[in-house]
Amino acid sequence: MHVSSKILRIKNIDRFAQRVKTSMYYAMHFCLCSLFLTLYSCRGDEVIYPTIGTKVTDEVREGGVYVLCEGNMGSNKARLDYMNLATGTYYANWYGSQNPTQMKELGDVGNDIQQYGGKLYAVINCSHKVEVMDLQARHIAKIDIPNCRYLAFSGGKMYVSAYVGSVANPELLGSVFEVDTASLAIEREVKVGHQPDELCVLGDKLYVVNSGGYLTNRYDSTISVIDLQSFTEVRKINVGLNPTRIRKDEHQRLWVACQGNYGAVKPQLVVLDNEEVIRRIPTPCANMSILGSTVYIINNETNTIQSINSQLSIINYQLSTPFEHPYGLLATEDALYIADAKNYVSSGILYCFDYSGHERWRAYTGDIPGHLCLVTGEYDAHEDTISPTPSTYSPYIARVYEYLPAMGQFVNILPKYEEGDDAMDMCLKCEEAIADNAGGLVSLGGWGGYITFGFDHPVENLPGKDIQILGNAFYMTGSTEYGSSEPGIVLVSRDENGNGVPDDVWYELKGSEYDNPTTVHSYTKTYTREGDTLQNPFHKQPYYPQWIEADEMTFTGTRLAPLSEQIAGQNVQRILDFGYVDNKPNKDKEGTSFDLSWAVDAAGEPVHLPSVDFIRVYNAADEILPQTGELSTEINGAIDLHIEQ
Amino acid sequence: MALCAPSVFAMSDAEMDSLDSRFRIEEVEVTARSLTKDVIVPQTLKGAELQRLNALSVADALRYFSGVQLKDYGGVGGIKTINIRSMGSQHTAVYYNGVQLGNAQNGQVDLGRFSLDNMEQIQLFNGQKSDIFQSAREFGSAGNIYLTTRKPYFKENERVHVRAQMRFGSFALANPTIGVDVKLKESLSLTVDAEYVYSDGKYPFRYRRVLPSGETAYDTTAVRQNGDVNAVRAEVGLHHYYRTTGFWRVHAYNYWSERGVPGAIVNNVWRNGERLWDRNTFVQAEWQDEWFNRWSTRLLAKYANDYTHYQNYDKRLLPSNNEYVQQEVYVSLANKVRIFNWWDASLAYDYQYNALNRANLLVEAAPENFSRHSHWLSAATALNIKEYLRIQASVLMTSIGNSQLSNDKYKFTPGAFLSFRPYPAIDLSVNAFYKQSYRYPTFNDLYYTDLGNASLRPELARQHSVEIAYRLSNRKGLRTSDFGYEIAANLSYYYNRVTDKIIAYPKGQQFRWTMLNLGEVKIHGVDAKTDLSFYLPLDFTLRTRLNYTYQKAIDVTNPNDSYYGHQIPYIPWHSGSVVVGLDWKSRRGDHYGLNYSFIYTGERYSQQENTIYNYVQPWYTHDLSIYGEWAIKPVWLKANFELNNMLGQDYEVIQNYPMPKQNVRCTLAVKY
Repeated sequence: MHVSSKILRIKNIDRFAQRVKTSMYYAMHFCLCSLFLTLYSCRGDEVIYPTIGTKVTDEVREGGVYVLCEGNMGSNKARLDYMNLATGTYYANWYGSQNPTQMKELGDVGNDIQQYGGKLYAVINCSHKVEVMDLQARHIAKIDIPNCRYLAFSGGKMYVSAYVGSVANPELLGSVFEVDTASLAIEREVKVGHQPDELCVLGDKLYVVNSGGYLTNRYDSTISVIDLQSFTEVRKINVGLNPTRIRKDEHQRLWVACQGNYGAVKPQLVVLDNEEVIRRIPTPCANMSILGSTVYIINNETNTIQSINSQLSIINYQLSTPFEHPYGLLATEDALYIADAKNYVSSGILYCFDYSGHERWRAYTGDIPGHLCLVTGEYDAHEDTISPTPSTYSPYIARVYEYLPAMGQFVNILPKYEEGDDAMDMCLKCEEAIADNAGGLVSLGGWGGYITFGFDHPVENLPGKDIQILGNAFYMTGSTEYGSSEPGIVLVSRDENGNGVPDDVWYELKGSEYDNPTTVHSYTKTYTREGDTLQNPFHKQPYYPQWIEADEMTFTGTRLAPLSEQIAGQNVQRILDFGYVDNKPNKDKEGTSFDLSWAVDAAGEPVHLPSVDFIRVYNAADEILPQTGELSTEINGAIDLHIEQ
Repeated sequence: MALCAPSVFAMSDAEMDSLDSRFRIEEVEVTARSLTKDVIVPQTLKGAELQRLNALSVADALRYFSGVQLKDYGGVGGIKTINIRSMGSQHTAVYYNGVQLGNAQNGQVDLGRFSLDNMEQIQLFNGQKSDIFQSAREFGSAGNIYLTTRKPYFKENERVHVRAQMRFGSFALANPTIGVDVKLKESLSLTVDAEYVYSDGKYPFRYRRVLPSGETAYDTTAVRQNGDVNAVRAEVGLHHYYRTTGFWRVHAYNYWSERGVPGAIVNNVWRNGERLWDRNTFVQAEWQDEWFNRWSTRLLAKYANDYTHYQNYDKRLLPSNNEYVQQEVYVSLANKVRIFNWWDASLAYDYQYNALNRANLLVEAAPENFSRHSHWLSAATALNIKEYLRIQASVLMTSIGNSQLSNDKYKFTPGAFLSFRPYPAIDLSVNAFYKQSYRYPTFNDLYYTDLGNASLRPELARQHSVEIAYRLSNRKGLRTSDFGYEIAANLSYYYNRVTDKIIAYPKGQQFRWTMLNLGEVKIHGVDAKTDLSFYLPLDFTLRTRLNYTYQKAIDVTNPNDSYYGHQIPYIPWHSGSVVVGLDWKSRRGDHYGLNYSFIYTGERYSQQENTIYNYVQPWYTHDLSIYGEWAIKPVWLKANFELNNMLGQDYEVIQNYPMPKQNVRCTLAVKY
């Protein structure tokens, strides 16, 4: 009682002192201002308030609609709103509310938003980035792409059009970037035409409209066809002046909206089939949305919504509400969403109509609501139940980059060294043993020995465990506390410099012994060829890796305290709690799996890695047992848990 | 006035004011001039008072006027424009030694580029200058700022004055100035003035947001980049005062600068790559004389040549590289006749030619040329009925070439001004005016690629204003060292209406902005200001200056707009300033002083719609300066130290353009 009241008093004194300080701080302002300002207001903290939803309808449906409001250039007022269809509630500034710690919020000029797999992607044009979020709009990562415009997805890749390429060129040509949706790394880039805008994947081709929007009176009039395999522009198709939008319908036809030159050359909607123009429809089209065989367009001369049926005749859509400047459009199975940008400098309105033209509800949006995205399915943060990244990736090890065992009894045997083998050959032998679920074993030798491997894709850091690494550990009969454990520590790395070689910063996956005081964190050990005299009767080959030319090898890392104990005359090891390779039996999936969220930097501070490209395992035990020789981590393979096996 | 040079007769009020302040410094006994003889009471900052302010440029000084909102993009090199009584910056005309500074391209005059170092006086007139003897164009603007540079004054046996000054400050500010005045002959003098300004513009700024719980959401401090400025200004003036009535003067001005445009700080963008090179050159000549004590003539001529080179090689953007050359030729002839002692009339005609040459250096295309001829014709009259009543009326006929002025070729704009002084013994007057003025479309409004609209009409501002001015002083005939006080107080109410406002609107094709005459604003405002000076014993002087402005400027364009009735962007409801200065003068003539100023701008919105997303917090800064002036014959030494934004407030005048935190300036000057 006493203690708590004392604490309370101290707190009160603190608060009082704080208040005195604050009042002194403002006293000067106040005295002066109150003299002559009748309605005086002081500057306070800039508070980010969570959004409060507005109930706009009682009708309940599945999923939700994201509304990306562009905001005017330089205003930093790109805003992501969310209409929760399941509750009929509209949330203004949903992104800001979900991510209050994001410096300067969502950014400047939102230009596109799409869902792919379990993630949401938003192009923020003047912030030069693609914002990657989970389906609740929580920030995952940003991908820096200068002057990015629109998105398309296919086969685990995201395609981003951008007005500028990574290398400036005098013709002012734009680029399309290929981004891996798992690693979120930019993989390839192809130069296209002038100021590419929307893009669309059809089969194994990518079609990009080249607007030339920045070249007044010199608009472009082509679409670039890009072969996705080689990622090169294979041809250009002339469609019409100033094309800005491209969509595909269910008959695999492409619809291209050309804006003309805002003068003598009138806008038109061009239909392509099999890369041939089959129809030119003389209508203005500011935006379109295709549902089945019906194309809904915004006619920005009449500011009305029109639909075009499969016979290609235009039907005026009779809607009860007149629009000022309809700008965003989304046709879903259930409803037609139209976003009116009004005068582009004040808040817009999102309307929801049913297909009989009856308005269901409306909601006030941010400035210039231009981009709508339907999100289906509920997302559970603890279980990534939304479709895992669809791909043809292998869940197994694809490459071994490095193999450098420390001196040990299985070195030069697992895998077998043959005269003339170099480091590369040994890596290939490791691949034969453990890549692609081959089921063999690779020994890391004594303390410090390591192997570095990777997959044919980066491993994503999603909620829960991300990767399983197999060894040859087993429990002592009747126990899960003791058995054969030869623990290895896992390091992970991102290919930050993009050179495909593991020469980037390594992060340790923090296991259960990381904070154990008996663990030595900067342990160094040197092995020499001369010291290679430990042969036990069973293994008489040299223990020093024979393909290494240097006569000594020095390793630095973490050393775990000795684990071995004598139980019933047997040498057994204490099984560690979690976070070590070759510590628990492979059939214990949980016990042999690792979470990339465990990553810590050299200072022990947790780091968030969206994905990793390289995985290194090194032997963390430095123990030599009389009967069985040294404890030596063995690797039996690894599995990316996010890819279906 | 006996000690004034003979040329005083031919001088305008403004010039007399400047002599006034100069004479005070020179310790000459002067008679306080009655402010209330003006039909429109100007706001004035001059002489020593101007030099004492925490201000680097003319724009900084204008913050101390009421009814004025400064748009400041931050830093030494950031653009600074002003908006008088919420009518928009393009309704404000700026005059440099009596001739308007023009910018036919965008109608904006960056007041941050005009140094205070050679400025004798800054005056602001609402409506128009309180004198019908002016050029026709001067009748054409809603608000007028007159910048008057230092004029040479020589005592007997003096031939040369030299003033050299060095200023240092935060953000690597280096700013040397030199001024030389030479008496060539009796009544013919030459002034030369040169200045260099450098600043790297790298100032720290901070963005901090908190959660409703008080926890920090983010707190980031960064350094402003690409805000450097390098500028050289050089001016030469030749003044000749002859007989007792006439004078001519020629003034040449050249300003050269290179600067970075730091740009908006938005998410993921910390620096921008825009660069700007400017050269502004003009030569202007003025001649004025009077005959028979009745007829006055004033002739003005000016040639201006402005060059702007804009480059943006930011790798993230499409490059741009544009050159603009503007030329202006201007002549004006004004005549005033004194019909009776109580009745004056004036007639003035102005002609101006403007040309703009715009070249995009990235494309091989012929540069675009635009030009126009404009004519102004004004007639005005002034009646002084005893000491009770003064009336002025003017009408201006304007024809701006090439712009299609709706149906009529000419625009007529009337103005009427009245000053009533009920008790001649008391310095109290009631002033009122009504005035119409047009803001004509600029070349950008008319012809800007894709955006311009050649069929724009001019934007009309109608001003109604009433004012009570009161002045009380016991200093008539006293020496400056005796106890005394001067009180001047003004209270004005105004109602302005701006119609056919030129705004950008997305029309027709998708997201294509175009300029339209679409906008209507109603402005109700109150300006209150007082100047109090106390001449205390022991040679102390206490001066205070208080300004308060209330403005309700609402958009009344269309009742269906979501912002109908909302306050227009960046106009605070409340704003004001306090300046307190204490001076002490030693027996041997040294000066010491302390000056404190507080500037407050209340809450406002960054966009038309007054929602929380557009809300901008109030800002206020405390500035302090101390200075000393020592007479070490034959020179004067002066030192000034300024501490600005003392409490280091992190504020923005324009959203996403952070302003500097605490900063200092130190000035050392030698006068001979």
